[in-house]
Amino acid sequence: MATTFARRLLEALGSDIVLTEPADLAAFGYDGYKEHGNPSAAIVPRDVREVATAVRIARECDEPVIPRGAGTGLCGGAVPVRGGLVVSFTRMNRLLELDVRNRRARVQPGLINLDLSNAIARHGVFYAPDPSSQKISTIGGNVGTNAGGPHCLSYGTTTNHILGLQYVDDAGHIHRTGLADAGYDLTGLLVGSEGTLGVITEIDVRLMRLPEAVRVYVAAFADVESASEAVSAIIGAGIVPVALEIMDKLITQAVEAHYHAGFPAEAGAVLLVETAGPCDDMDDAERVIRQIARDHGALSWRSARDAAERAVLWAARKGAAGAVGRIAPNYYIQDACVPRTKLPQVMRQVERIARDHRLPVGNVFHAGDGNLHPLLIFDRRDARQVQAVIDAGSEILQTCIALGGTISGEHGIGYEKRSSLSLVFTTQDLAAMARVRDVFDPMRAFNPDKIFPSGAVCGEVTAASNAA
Amino acid sequence: MISSNPFALGSRAPARIEEPGDARRVAALLTAAGESGSAVVAFGGATLQSIGNAPQRYDIALTLRRLDRVLQYDPRDLTIGLEAGITLESAQRALAQARQFVPFDAPLPRRATVGGTLAAGWAGPRRATYGHLRDLLIGSTVALTDGTLASAGGMVVKNVTGYDMSKVYVGSLGTLGIIVRANFKALPQPAGQRVAIAPLSDDARDRTLGALGQLTVEPTAALVVEGFFERAPRVRDEDARLLVVFEGSALVIDRATRDLRSVLGKCGVAETLLFDGAAAAAVLQDTIDAYIEPVDDRSITYRSTGIPSTVWERTAGACAIVRACGARYDFVADLCTGDAIVRIAGASASHAADALVEIDPELRRAQPGITVLAGDPRLRAQVDAWGSVPSAFETMRAIKTRFDPAATLAPGRYVGGL
Repeated sequence: MATTFARRLLEALGSDIVLTEPADLAAFGYDGYKEHGNPSAAIVPRDVREVATAVRIARECDEPVIPRGAGTGLCGGAVPVRGGLVVSFTRMNRLLELDVRNRRARVQPGLINLDLSNAIARHGVFYAPDPSSQKISTIGGNVGTNAGGPHCLSYGTTTNHILGLQYVDDAGHIHRTGLADAGYDLTGLLVGSEGTLGVITEIDVRLMRLPEAVRVYVAAFADVESASEAVSAIIGAGIVPVALEIMDKLITQAVEAHYHAGFPAEAGAVLLVETAGPCDDMDDAERVIRQIARDHGALSWRSARDAAERAVLWAARKGAAGAVGRIAPNYYIQDACVPRTKLPQVMRQVERIARDHRLPVGNVFHAGDGNLHPLLIFDRRDARQVQAVIDAGSEILQTCIALGGTISGEHGIGYEKRSSLSLVFTTQDLAAMARVRDVFDPMRAFNPDKIFPSGAVCGEVTAASNAA
Repeated sequence: MISSNPFALGSRAPARIEEPGDARRVAALLTAAGESGSAVVAFGGATLQSIGNAPQRYDIALTLRRLDRVLQYDPRDLTIGLEAGITLESAQRALAQARQFVPFDAPLPRRATVGGTLAAGWAGPRRATYGHLRDLLIGSTVALTDGTLASAGGMVVKNVTGYDMSKVYVGSLGTLGIIVRANFKALPQPAGQRVAIAPLSDDARDRTLGALGQLTVEPTAALVVEGFFERAPRVRDEDARLLVVFEGSALVIDRATRDLRSVLGKCGVAETLLFDGAAAAAVLQDTIDAYIEPVDDRSITYRSTGIPSTVWERTAGACAIVRACGARYDFVADLCTGDAIVRIAGASASHAADALVEIDPELRRAQPGITVLAGDPRLRAQVDAWGSVPSAFETMRAIKTRFDPAATLAPGRYVGGL
């Protein structure tokens, strides 16, 4: 029996757009986080007018609105924890305009990240933010979490590549923002707001010219600490490659078992370096970086021969979490960021914390940015291990905060970490953010219970861990 | 007499000047001002106070010059935490010791402050390469009218912890809060910098601008400058010149120069002046200083933003309007960012005022987004500093009301009278 809400949506938009049957809705209750919710309805709109109509109806029926990309988020950002309307952008997935001359494109939020760069490569341009999920995650979702990726080291995160937005506000009105326009930077506020300020329906992205030359190197180290020291030394020497990634032995072996990319599987840690730019500089950069690696105990150094080999190495690196999923019963991936010089120290602490809790840990991380991703391996059928993961995850976050870092570098706060936000920010800091929320979403209708700590809500599940 | 007061804005001078020594005191002053119904305007180096309208009320000038410290800087982190009142030059000097920099690229760096540059939303000519200041700002602390200090972001380069509040204060002209601390991503200095200047005759211009797309090394910045003779150097007495900045290793700069000369040669531009190192930096800084430089009391400067492919059309269009109204112009057309800076000068203050009566409405008709950047206060008072009201203006108004309910902070200064 359809509710009034479902009936009104169906009347306004039709059964092609609106899903109301529990079986159809099940998939919209999940993302990459362990908790799930039960939406009252979902829509798969074709255009912004349909989004606006649905938002208006949801408001009138007092139902929350949860925008959804590909559902790859790891922190529950797309989980409809209070039910409500899920807006899925799988149909709004087009590249609307490409302006190569001015290096910009207008896209719909459901466009898959990698599809954009693939579609425009022949024009000599690319879209820089490249989260590991880029084969399936959407640009709209990336905007929601201000997603990062290995190449943020040189190119910056998603927010540095968004020039303007179209969004639907809580009254169902459509607005456009742009960095070139006068007025407060609403674009900058909306990026990374995890769907709590409005529903983003179009995105103007900045494109970059493909570099003249690209090289990828793989260096083996005895342990994560020495690899981390090498990274700090490279950055400290004033060299910013486009990517500096580290995988420890556990991760490298999982990756090699699946991808056979040629990483040194016996090494304690592997450093993946990418440099890009004018071809004149490539040899010098290699010489300097290689020397620093050697000075920090690099055991081997290899240069990818060609684009195909580079692609294999990157595919394997970006598939690291999935590869661990094949060898571990469950894992929990943490996301935190510290000042770059604190990296060796934080890696020692992560190792100690995992040991204290008797949990295997794998480390795969954006070392150049100080952005770590420990993967804690556990079996969710074992209550001790589940509790150990929760405790260890929390200790890792507190360690990062104590070292001057923060609790999310690129995955977002979502549902999972919202109670930790007050570890980073004071009441006054959070009050300023709440003012912005009050303006955009006074009724807390957009993605409720995300980002911000809230008072106890009846039936709320304590954030635990996200399992693969 | 008002013009002799360095804190005067438009026809108003403040009753009081406050010079707080720390961030808490800044916040406390805002609360006190709100309670007494006073209006506050924050001051850095006052280099960009000409952006926006004069405040409708103005009682207290709050200068941040005593907040001038480097708070946190470990060069190996490639991040720096600065107090808002530090001058751009001092900040840059601290960074230069470790061969790093932040591309502030704003006018008059010995006076201009970090907080003022951010509040003004300054966007320099190298941003196509290095990013806008907003993109390098990784954290901030702001004094709010309720007396609190609110921080956002941090000292890490990747951060999605809470809203990215720092962004909303950038370019807000101190109408939401007063920036007291700013944390930046620092960049390693490029190994070298070269500025190439070539004359650009009317005949060669279109051909040359079209051919620049063929350069194999992307310029860090590329400007067409006409006039501003007291500032940017020129090869001959040509009216316009092309100013191209290359940064990087000696190998790259040399290839870029050969490449540029070859492209220019094919377009019939034979001469190129080259400046390297400190001389290059000085030429670039002098050009940026020109953006806000007045001609006595008889000029006003507009800024037009947009996509790079329309910058020439917008610049030429604006200049045609100025010419038709009998005034003189100088301009900078930024080929990489799309900014156009057009300075309009009359033969005298009254001639400028008369010409502006015709010019301003024409400019607005042609380019609704054009804004006033600098100029004589009396000329600026004659026109609205802002162009058309943006699409989400009601949201902006609500943000202003929520952050500054008593309209303590520079009331009337911002877009749409906020």
